[in-house]
Amino acid sequence: MTLDPLLNTKILDMGRRIFADLGNTEPSLLDPRYLNSLLMRWSMRQRDFKVNLFRLVDVLPTLKSNTAIAEHVREYLIPPANKIHPSLGWLISLCENPLLAHVAAGMVRQGVRQMASMFIAGESPTSALPVLQRLRRERYSFTVDLLGEFCVCEKEAKEYQNRYLDAIETLGTTIPTWKEGKPIIEGHPGEESPVCVSVKLSALYSQTSVLNFDRSVAVLSERLTEIARRVRHHGALLYVDAEDSGNNSIIYEAFKRVFGSQEFRDLPYPGIVIQAYSKSSEARVDEMLAFARERGTPIAIRLVKGAYWDYERVVSGQNDWEFPLWTRKESSDAHYEHLSRKLLDNHEVCLPAFGSHNIRSLSHACCYAESIGLSQKDFELQVLYGMAEPIANAFMKRDYLVRMYVPLGELLPGMGYLVRRLLENTSNESFLRHTFFDEDEVSILLKEPHLQPEDCALSSSAPTHPAPSVPTPDNEPSTLSQ
Amino acid sequence: MTRQTPFKNEPLLDFSEEKNRHSIHNGLQELESLIARSAIYARPIINGEELRGAETLSRTDPSDQSATIGVVEFGDIKVAERAVAACTEGLRSWRTTSAEHRATTLNRMAALMRERKSLLTALLIREVGKTWREADADVAEAIDFCDYYAAEMRRLAPPRLTEQVMGEENHYLYQPRGVTVVIAPWNFPLAIACGMSVAALVTGNTVILKPAEQSSLIGYQLARIILEAGVPKEAFAFLPAKGEDVGPYLTGHPEVAMIVFTGSRPVGLSIVESASKVPAGQRMIKKVVAELGGKNAIIVDEDADFDDAIRGVLSSAFGFAGQKCSACSRLIVVGDAYEPFIERLAAATQDLIVGNASDPSSFLGPVVDGEAYERITSTIRSASEQLTLLAQAKVPTELSQRGNFIPPTIFRDVPSTHAIWTDEIFGPVVACARARDFDHALEMATSSEYALTGGVYSRHPQNLQKAKEEFRVGNLYINRGITGALVGRQPFGGFLMSGIGSKAGGPDYLVQFMEPRVVTENTMRRGFSPDVA
Repeated sequence: MTLDPLLNTKILDMGRRIFADLGNTEPSLLDPRYLNSLLMRWSMRQRDFKVNLFRLVDVLPTLKSNTAIAEHVREYLIPPANKIHPSLGWLISLCENPLLAHVAAGMVRQGVRQMASMFIAGESPTSALPVLQRLRRERYSFTVDLLGEFCVCEKEAKEYQNRYLDAIETLGTTIPTWKEGKPIIEGHPGEESPVCVSVKLSALYSQTSVLNFDRSVAVLSERLTEIARRVRHHGALLYVDAEDSGNNSIIYEAFKRVFGSQEFRDLPYPGIVIQAYSKSSEARVDEMLAFARERGTPIAIRLVKGAYWDYERVVSGQNDWEFPLWTRKESSDAHYEHLSRKLLDNHEVCLPAFGSHNIRSLSHACCYAESIGLSQKDFELQVLYGMAEPIANAFMKRDYLVRMYVPLGELLPGMGYLVRRLLENTSNESFLRHTFFDEDEVSILLKEPHLQPEDCALSSSAPTHPAPSVPTPDNEPSTLSQ
Repeated sequence: MTRQTPFKNEPLLDFSEEKNRHSIHNGLQELESLIARSAIYARPIINGEELRGAETLSRTDPSDQSATIGVVEFGDIKVAERAVAACTEGLRSWRTTSAEHRATTLNRMAALMRERKSLLTALLIREVGKTWREADADVAEAIDFCDYYAAEMRRLAPPRLTEQVMGEENHYLYQPRGVTVVIAPWNFPLAIACGMSVAALVTGNTVILKPAEQSSLIGYQLARIILEAGVPKEAFAFLPAKGEDVGPYLTGHPEVAMIVFTGSRPVGLSIVESASKVPAGQRMIKKVVAELGGKNAIIVDEDADFDDAIRGVLSSAFGFAGQKCSACSRLIVVGDAYEPFIERLAAATQDLIVGNASDPSSFLGPVVDGEAYERITSTIRSASEQLTLLAQAKVPTELSQRGNFIPPTIFRDVPSTHAIWTDEIFGPVVACARARDFDHALEMATSSEYALTGGVYSRHPQNLQKAKEEFRVGNLYINRGITGALVGRQPFGGFLMSGIGSKAGGPDYLVQFMEPRVVTENTMRRGFSPDVA
């Protein structure tokens, strides 16, 4: 399957111009003015250092005392630091000194907080308002995601639901009153409201499980309905996020139940997310397009590559289940383009939202849209807050609607999200890393992706044991945008 | 279709796939129609012949005592005598079959169980009250034991030279022990009964399998599979019976060379004792392999990931209503983590779904029978008088009227001298306590008389290292739940009062079922040796 050469030329051309616009700008995580960027650069050089650094980042928010922080820093970082340079290990060992421990601990806390604040816009909707206002002033649209701990009981599930209801209330009563609340692009369906939330559905019910399928769908539908009512009340927008492949079957079912209901079948553009890295994503796209047609009112579909590659790899590997995702990153990229075209071809029933940081993927969507006569109002682009700002900026300047996915929450529940973002920035396969750190050839980064041979022998006949050439989790994910 | 080496675990069903959920639904329906036709029953099988038992038991569904699953007919001492006689006779030929032949027979058993998976799973759900996931894991483990021990036997069977010496050949080889009595538990009624039986069979022993009274219907299905797969009728006897009737007779019998037991500590110790006596006519010293209980602890360190730890504790403590030897029954939380952790755990426990085992949404089902129900309930009642209850889930009234449902229960601040802390309960009951620091936690965890499983949730590298070295139990799990050991991957079994005999599903297990022999041959004749010439 090869693209129309004329289209591909246009994509390459657009991609080159975007790259030219990036100039010397870098995402903040790699901005050399920060200590964090130094750590990230070491991480990319040395695997042990990266694993331990990220494990340290993960555990830090739970540590209460300076001594505990100093201990953890020492145990996690000295051994790999010594491999980079003995003096680095010595430097870290200074934090064992009781006099320095609290200074060091303070620095570490500060460092993690700073790192987290790059990706997490605030602890609560209220505290994030200035950031959201700035984004809109800079002509970015947004969707707000509330980070939460895994919910283990109904009390926590209800609290989480209430946080969503409150967030919609806070944002819904404030933002439309701003002058920045006016549409960035007049007449764009994604700008019918400046308020948009993304919901992690499975966390609204503590007993969500595939074996508890019927009840999970029923309870989640009920709770999503309450959120949808609040959304409708404020005329806001909503996306239901995709998760791991186990929960996804429940999530899609609940989405259809709520937005196919009598009450909500006329609600415009309820959003759902499809992960192109999944082998079943085309079937999902077809299912959702059919759903939108039957419903009679268009829906929004955010197309992402998917962020649970490692997790799915481990789960399917340990259980000897068929791997539900493409094994090669390039296959996901190729499939992403294929599905992008399908969504754009069906724009009359869906608003496609392309969630990616990959210049090739985004340029492809933009150029294909143009080639079939669509305008900037027929789709939108989405990126994660704090990632790839220069790329977002380049597309925004070309009058595409760019929506930032903005997570809000406290540090502790934010760690999982933070570590995923760090991995994404430093992974061997990361487009961002190749773009900003390795500075690969533009022509390589913009090359047309193809479904890889090992992914061509499709599902049914595929062996349960993946071929040995498949990268193990050690080799990092092919993750991109949540 | 048989499977050859290398061994690979039977995958657990991925219940996110609708077809897998359907298969269990279908299995339950098929079973229901078999029950209606009285086609589910258990009878002694000796020399391939099905015998009628004098005494019978109607086995009812622990989730719904009004539903009878099938009738078990028990054999008595006379039947046991016939079983020993048949297996003594059968030993002559079975022991001379090739290891490859026996291994292939096990692979055939695995194939048969794969074919009948949904029905076997359904029967586990109905006869002992396993939830879907637990029942599926039980069947998968049974399949694993067959394939794993088949592969192990192929590895062990060829006589091997001990050393290369000129003019002499020293061969090290194994032979079976003899007539083996397998006394199986009800908590893994297919997996453990199967594992113990096939380990004995593949090594060339003949087997008398006595299933637990509570799970004889599943035992009967296993017996049928063993025979269908090609184990000759004289090499295997199935003997549903009351333990107190035939147990002492079998374990004391002079022709019985080996006893393999999984069950309670008192019974295990009494078997060890009776096996040590030598009645007239006995020519061997009996070998006992016994897998007994546990009082397993999970330590939650101050820096643990609570989300993970809570899920791990819940599944380890309350999966199959805590009726696993590997289950978590003690929880030790370090320092300042204690209050916040148990508070979240309490909330999580209260919301667990207790339900009919046939209902896939149930997190846990009933306990196995009325006797277990009475015992655990009275333990909880008396502990409640002395201790502080941290949390207890709810059992809907319509369930408690029908079945043996016990709500997941946690006691807090339990002193280490209390029976709840020291004795195995074998039910959904957890005792928790605070440790001053990690060292204290390790000391508390390992002060038990048992040493089966244990767990640690921590992200402190040094504490994890310390746990690996000093948390001395048969199976230690780090940052995950402590149940669900997989054959081959996590060989299972403990020491101290948790048992004698090496790990089931591990490389040392089969050797216990055999006696090693050495054959030394002088190959030099008249100064001529083949390896020099």
